[in-house]
Amino acid sequence: MSKADLILEANDIYKSFGTVEVLKGISLEAKNHEVISILGASGSGKSTFLRCLNFLEIPTSGTIAFHGEPVNIVNGKPVNPKHIEAIRSRLGMVFQQFNLWTHRTAIENVMEGPIYVKKMAKNLAREKAESLLERVGLKDRMHMYPSQLSGGQQQRVAIARALAMEPDAILFDEPTSALDPELVGEVLKVMQSLAAEGRTMIVVTHEMAFARDVSSKVVFFHAGKIAEQGTPDEMFKNPKTEVFQKFISNI
Amino acid sequence: MDSLEIIIKYWPKLLDGTLMTLKLTFLSVLIAAIISPFLSLTRANASPIAQAPLRLYISFIRGTPILAQLFLVYYGSGQFRLILQEWGLWGFFRDPFNCALLTFVLNTTAYQTEILRGGVMGVNRGEIEAGKALGMNKLRILQRIVFPHAYRIAWPALGNEIILMMKASALASVVTIFDILGRTRQIFSRTFDFSIYLWAAILYLCITAIFVLIWRQAELRLNKHIMPSDHLIVADDHLSAHKK
Repeated sequence: MSKADLILEANDIYKSFGTVEVLKGISLEAKNHEVISILGASGSGKSTFLRCLNFLEIPTSGTIAFHGEPVNIVNGKPVNPKHIEAIRSRLGMVFQQFNLWTHRTAIENVMEGPIYVKKMAKNLAREKAESLLERVGLKDRMHMYPSQLSGGQQQRVAIARALAMEPDAILFDEPTSALDPELVGEVLKVMQSLAAEGRTMIVVTHEMAFARDVSSKVVFFHAGKIAEQGTPDEMFKNPKTEVFQKFISNI
Repeated sequence: MDSLEIIIKYWPKLLDGTLMTLKLTFLSVLIAAIISPFLSLTRANASPIAQAPLRLYISFIRGTPILAQLFLVYYGSGQFRLILQEWGLWGFFRDPFNCALLTFVLNTTAYQTEILRGGVMGVNRGEIEAGKALGMNKLRILQRIVFPHAYRIAWPALGNEIILMMKASALASVVTIFDILGRTRQIFSRTFDFSIYLWAAILYLCITAIFVLIWRQAELRLNKHIMPSDHLIVADDHLSAHKK
């Protein structure tokens, strides 16, 4: 792997909320085309870590490098905060609660980023949004408001919204955890197709089947540290640590 | 003279008063509407120390009668005439209209700020995060996400405040301004017919009713996104029917 293939590199990330230390020195790198699944019990710090990657949480200390350009964090303050907005615009994020803008229709949600962040012309943004919504199977719903869509549909709009920015990598924060069981499949299918076309993805998830079948790397968090990582094959067939063994046997 | 003859004779004066009431209300509400978004952000986000002066101002306005505030500006400014003259501000304070306008702006700004603060604080954090995650800067997030939601949340309360302000503007008549009430008192002093007060009440009632109607239509339009789809169609029909 050449250096150019390295998209995201987190180094020695610490994060405390008050006196509670949630992340205790996490390092992880994401190469181009990699699909990384982050597993772990609730409270293990996996969502916090993901939110640190695009600075929705500012780590207490550590370094996050995007395409080799590092942002150092010292005492909970990024040394060069100017980079943050630029990094975010190239790093998509899909949330557990979808977080669509409820006062805008599906297509307006998807057009927002290209128009107001990338300064794209409105008609181009509209065309792009239409084709993305078609891709996630929602072309016929594009003028509906989020309140008129099911959870699965909302999450697919949210994925289209992230894709509209043409991100170099997409972060997924438990994208199916807020969905009714029968709606999980439609979202996973879209995510699977993204993985198949070689998108770089970092996915915090409880979907074992997704982690095992779709991802190229699995990372297991335990108590704010990475307890175990490897390819899904190694991990699920021969779990090395007791904690991970226990974790997968409980599911 | 019976009351009908009085209204026929004096309606131009009442109309003039109505325009004054509308002008006073509209200007104070408008100026406050320009200032209050900035103050509401300070109230919602700034550190307790940074917003201490603002809280003091709001507490003062909310804790004292608006009539006392008007007297403070109108009669109080006379006490400082020499200083105001020195600063070149006496010309402003000499005019009772300016005093009333200033008082009403100070008053409704405080209320509008607090109302809008509630709106700003009620915006779903997740939607703000979604804006951040897309790389939007702070100004864009305010413009595209925070305020569109904040105004929708605050809308009914803001309408209420505007109605209260409109009626409070009758106090301006105490400092010699000829608004609806000022004209009414003037007409009464000439005719000694009490029914003119009834006409004034009807005028205030009409202004309020028209305002409520307009505000309601705007609310329906703003809240399209949270109405079930069949209501959406009804609301649309309702709106287009109104346009005709």
